[in-house]
Amino acid sequence: MNRRYHFSLFLLLVPYLLGTLVLVVVPLLLTLPLALTEYNGLGRPSWVGLAHLQGLLSDPLFLTASGNTLYYTALLVPLRVLAALALALLLNRRRGLGLYRAAVYVPTVVPGVAYALIWLWLLNPLYGPLNGLLALFGLPAPAWLADPATALPALVLAGLFQLGESFVVLLAGLSAIPNDYYQVAALDGAGRWQRFRYVTLPLISPWLLLVAMRELIASVQNSFTPALLMTGGGPYYATLFLPQLIYNTAFDQLRFGQAAAMTLVHMVSIIIALLVIYRLAGGWGYDDEV
Amino acid sequence: MTMRCDVQATEDTEGTERRLITASSVGAVSSLATSMRRLSYHLVASTIAALFVVPLLWATLASLRMPGLPPPQGLSWLADPLTLGNYRRIFDLLPLGSYLLNSIIVACVSVLLTLIIASWAGFAMARLPGPVRGRLVILAVLLRLVPLPILWLARFILFSRLQINDTLWALIAPAWMGTSPFYVLLFYWAFRRVPGDLFDAARLEGASVLQSWALVAMPMVRPTAASVVVLSFMHYWSDFINPLIYLKSERNYTLAVGLRTLQQLDLTNWPLLMAGAVVMMLPMLLLFLLAQRAFWVAGGVGSRQ
Repeated sequence: MNRRYHFSLFLLLVPYLLGTLVLVVVPLLLTLPLALTEYNGLGRPSWVGLAHLQGLLSDPLFLTASGNTLYYTALLVPLRVLAALALALLLNRRRGLGLYRAAVYVPTVVPGVAYALIWLWLLNPLYGPLNGLLALFGLPAPAWLADPATALPALVLAGLFQLGESFVVLLAGLSAIPNDYYQVAALDGAGRWQRFRYVTLPLISPWLLLVAMRELIASVQNSFTPALLMTGGGPYYATLFLPQLIYNTAFDQLRFGQAAAMTLVHMVSIIIALLVIYRLAGGWGYDDEV
Repeated sequence: MTMRCDVQATEDTEGTERRLITASSVGAVSSLATSMRRLSYHLVASTIAALFVVPLLWATLASLRMPGLPPPQGLSWLADPLTLGNYRRIFDLLPLGSYLLNSIIVACVSVLLTLIIASWAGFAMARLPGPVRGRLVILAVLLRLVPLPILWLARFILFSRLQINDTLWALIAPAWMGTSPFYVLLFYWAFRRVPGDLFDAARLEGASVLQSWALVAMPMVRPTAASVVVLSFMHYWSDFINPLIYLKSERNYTLAVGLRTLQQLDLTNWPLLMAGAVVMMLPMLLLFLLAQRAFWVAGGVGSRQ
């Protein structure tokens, strides 16, 4: 009876496991051999060995896209995590803040295409309201997306507001800290900063780690839609990111082998970045000082 | 509604607090300081909250501007003759009805599949013995870390072998794995909170696994199921990359890719573009306002990972 029960439970798992196999495991495994071939999506793939991977090292577009992606994530991920933490701290605990919390989440539910179109208009150098606002204060009006120096920071600015998911996770993390801890700390004479440093921060750090890892993955994959719609990777490749280069190489130029090689490098660098974040976070976890 | 009640309740308690403070020997000075602090807090919080909402409001107002008028210089909130003409115009320019229909078909079919497959997987995980369960949870957590761009290429080749490229099935495909392992984990955690005795009792009564899933388990986790429905609906409605990669013929376009053609048609007609953005965004904003709890449920549970 028990065995039969477990077997039928296992049957419920089959669609999920099968879907995962076909949609994730097989594509992951397929990428490696694909990177070692020349393939245009039609005929038969022909073996080229490590030629694509070696070629990437001297491919200026790939190097530019890698540098841009690194710059973009190094800017956006810390900003978004810190902003989400600041907002969660500001809107934590007190009752009657539902409206503010909802407002903070609103940009996150706006579909990527709509969000990109809206920011395309907000950032328009001549007619956009953002420069109108700057002019009101007598500030200089940058060309935003039209200027290679400001295009990437402008995309970061637009992306900064879609931090709802991290905000909610950190809010939940904060509300899980028992109030007693703060009362005890206050009795011991801990000030506002000390309470944050020695109570909140150590207890929220596992959540911060989770949020930072999710943000890293999300910020790379979510760079695609705004970059494609708002700048097309320009001006002068200033906002060309790896996902878009992979997309162009594969689906516009039909160079699947080359694109697979890029995908492979992309995958390895994300794994390294995740390990780096994990190590960094390990330094200020539960064990230290507290 | 609940929000308003919350505010009401707080005001009540704050009122009581204030009365208590006033009555106490501390006197009026401290009470004044407290309300000043509270006022400045709300000033800061509402300014920040406005930062998140005002850009969207701006875009909505811009979509009500008459096309053809010279674009406004500087900040202008309301156009003089307000018009809904831009909305009519995008329906003339694009087969928006067909885009909408495709979006709705994809979202509905995918949500239904996601609900069944993710809850089945979550239910089985919650009921299987410890070691198997642990391994499945680790699998799901690792799957959450896979960035989607690294799957595009191989999935495209796979889909063309399966001959589902350029059909709506290519967009629905992720639903076969429950869309996101996160939804499987949401169900898993929800089912773990249900006392196991309930399922054991159902089993002794002779209920099959499928029966105890449908009749015992699912009714117990309604908030989680609602969360998954809302979140996955949003996911499929907003999905831009999959239709961009897998669809070729315009008759299969969903709203997300269809709107891109609007941008390619006429890049400088801002009122028209903003009207397109609003058509895409408004259903999601309404869904968010109506089903806000879904997001907090998912966040609260998601933070346990």
